[in-house]
Amino acid sequence: MTRPLKLTAQLLALGAVLGLLALLVWRVTHQTHAPKVGAAAPGFTLARLTGTGSLDLAALKGKPVVLNFWASWCGPCKSEARVLEQAFQRYRKQGVAFVGVDFHDVAGDARRFVSVHGLTFPMVQDGSGDVTSGRYGVSQVPETYVVGRTGKIVMHIAGPITSPSFAGEFRRAVAVALRS
Amino acid sequence: MIVRVLAVAAAALALAGPAAACAHPKTSLSYLEGQIMCPTCHTTLDQSDAAAAQQIKREIAKRIGQCWSTKQIEDELVGNFGQGILAAPPHKGFDLLAWWLPLGSVIGGAGLLALGVWRWSRTRESDAQEPAELDPETERQVDEALARLD
Repeated sequence: MTRPLKLTAQLLALGAVLGLLALLVWRVTHQTHAPKVGAAAPGFTLARLTGTGSLDLAALKGKPVVLNFWASWCGPCKSEARVLEQAFQRYRKQGVAFVGVDFHDVAGDARRFVSVHGLTFPMVQDGSGDVTSGRYGVSQVPETYVVGRTGKIVMHIAGPITSPSFAGEFRRAVAVALRS
Repeated sequence: MIVRVLAVAAAALALAGPAAACAHPKTSLSYLEGQIMCPTCHTTLDQSDAAAAQQIKREIAKRIGQCWSTKQIEDELVGNFGQGILAAPPHKGFDLLAWWLPLGSVIGGAGLLALGVWRWSRTRESDAQEPAELDPETERQVDEALARLD
């Protein structure tokens, strides 16, 4: 192989290796992690699942917010739904807002889920998962974030709030959010 | 009696389900399972048994039963889940790179290889055709030896 040709081939190989390395670095630096307790809750505007229009999380600033990520295909979400609705009915009088974020779900099935379980708090749809996995680092539903009046995260529950280990924690978190 | 007959007819219709609604489906579940991604496991539907994948398969089957075309079903899924639900990137904009870059790389690589082989074979040919040159001292010695033979 002649020298210029050899040099071109070497440069191309080097370029390919550098390209792959850049992709790896990009992937590692762009991995999303769940926001930490004490950090500001990532903002979002998502279309409402039931009804029209959208819901902006920023519009709820000043109120404690319970942000629940769920999907109609998720088994534990079914058992959690009733408890969440009861919690909503109990805490709404104290000014706590509840928002359900439907994740990677068929809209028709999600609406049926809301209707079957009699959920009355606002629901938004995140079909692409950009907010749920992209900003909140959620990969498995259900997960719940409790956000204080200042917009800072008070607690993150990775699992159903109905599980014995989380039930007390959820109540405490809402109490902290109300005081915040 | 009439009520019973009507009830049986209604049940039969319900059980016949979507298949009866569309005599000539425009696409198939097995085809679309290879074209649509499972949003939670990042594989195509045909490689996934995840709950989310099962739900989308049911939705696709329902739409096929309603005589929807591949494009209609894909459009609905993209509207619901975003562009990432499609296994293949669209043939437009920046996503075109995903189609043309591998092809360009293969063609470019093959071209470089062909050029290399061609240059190498030419070098070998010229090496074989050109007689080896002798340095002046050796040439003088050969001439002397030939002269002695004469």
